[in-house]
Amino acid sequence: MTLRLGRHAFADDATIMMAIVNRTPDSFYDQGATWAEDKASARVDLVVRQGAEMVDIGGIKAAPGVEIGEAEERSRVVDFVARVREEHPGVVISVDTWRASVGDAACRAGADVLNDAWGGADPELVDVAAAHGAAIVCTHTGGATPRTRPYRVEYDDVVRSAIDDTVGYAERALAAGVARDSIVIDPAHDFGKNTFHSLELTRRLGEMVATGWPVLVSLSNKDFVGETLDKPVGERLLGTLAATAVCATAGARVYRVHEVVETRQVVDMAWTIAGRRPPARAIRGLQ
Amino acid sequence: MTRVVLVPGVLALLPEYAGLTDPVADLRAACLEAVATLGVDVEVLATGSAARVAHHLLDAAPRHGEHPSYLVVGNGSATRSEKAPGHLDERAADFDRRLHAALAGPDPAALAGLDQDLATELWADTGQLGRLGELLEGGGEAQVTYAEAPYGVQYWVAAWTTR
Repeated sequence: MTLRLGRHAFADDATIMMAIVNRTPDSFYDQGATWAEDKASARVDLVVRQGAEMVDIGGIKAAPGVEIGEAEERSRVVDFVARVREEHPGVVISVDTWRASVGDAACRAGADVLNDAWGGADPELVDVAAAHGAAIVCTHTGGATPRTRPYRVEYDDVVRSAIDDTVGYAERALAAGVARDSIVIDPAHDFGKNTFHSLELTRRLGEMVATGWPVLVSLSNKDFVGETLDKPVGERLLGTLAATAVCATAGARVYRVHEVVETRQVVDMAWTIAGRRPPARAIRGLQ
Repeated sequence: MTRVVLVPGVLALLPEYAGLTDPVADLRAACLEAVATLGVDVEVLATGSAARVAHHLLDAAPRHGEHPSYLVVGNGSATRSEKAPGHLDERAADFDRRLHAALAGPDPAALAGLDQDLATELWADTGQLGRLGELLEGGGEAQVTYAEAPYGVQYWVAAWTTR
């Protein structure tokens, strides 16, 4: 299915690198490296040069911490969206927020996608996406409250739960008026899940792809990679890329990443092995 | 008049082996330009994968006219460099030079008298060049529009108009 992300459209065989840009002082991976607006802007310049089709701008880290009110989140995100819109008209701008009010302001400033990492905690977010012709990412959190860690969460079947919840959310977005080709589902690795859950979602990602909704995966440097390999943040790239290859083979379309260049190569390789992309240039044995 | 075209049997010309960028773009353009000068009905002188290449080029190039037409598939050595499919053979350059002269002449007798044993040793695809020589016995000016060995294999795109 053609994917329409606000002002931008992607053919049904295209994969998309969504580069993470944190306007936070405390996100787990970069520890505030792009907290200052100029640093965040330089990060956008870099990832666009590296070939990212989309940036995902977030003003609140996912993990628990100091409460960030709506006004503070807006001040971190909205003007910055306008700046990126002006400086990089060709890039898709996603905003990582669960708040409808912040989403509304971000869309007015030029955002194309609302990445609701917390699974519809604010029911009006779909209305905002519909009103602005924006795309929406429907994630699975197992009902977790925003910015909470999983604690003794269990599922009868985590993949079934992820499919039911994300497809239900997608249908709610559709009913609210979001275009069918502007809805993406995300199993949300590690959100409301332990490592075994995230591994199972990776292993069975093809079942989510089979729903027909385009699938986004957010794997980058997460704890399920760290626990699997017993590696701290900063040493999880290889594990992230292995999980990426599995998801690409299954047919995930969008990859939310810290490392654009490495992920693009892995996705292209897996996508080509799967027969969905030709080699860049083949002459060996064919002269 | 009779129109005769020679192209190499390069598998990279086939759509099933296409990449995002074309490693033989210049060769392909020369092949299509030459094949487009053939008539509607073409006799293909090629076997196996070489015939597939010929038929793909015929399908891809618009052709007009009722003039007798032949599409011959063949190429020189595949031993022109260290990275060539058959590795470097010092005899290859001279073999290809003589073959080029026979095509450009054209020299039907030289084509008919090719050293097939040496051709085999140099991985050259010359099996149809004897027939090509017969077709060129009436003479006719050659147009060699491509003569390169970009991947250690000597390719020619050539066309002749004979009486």
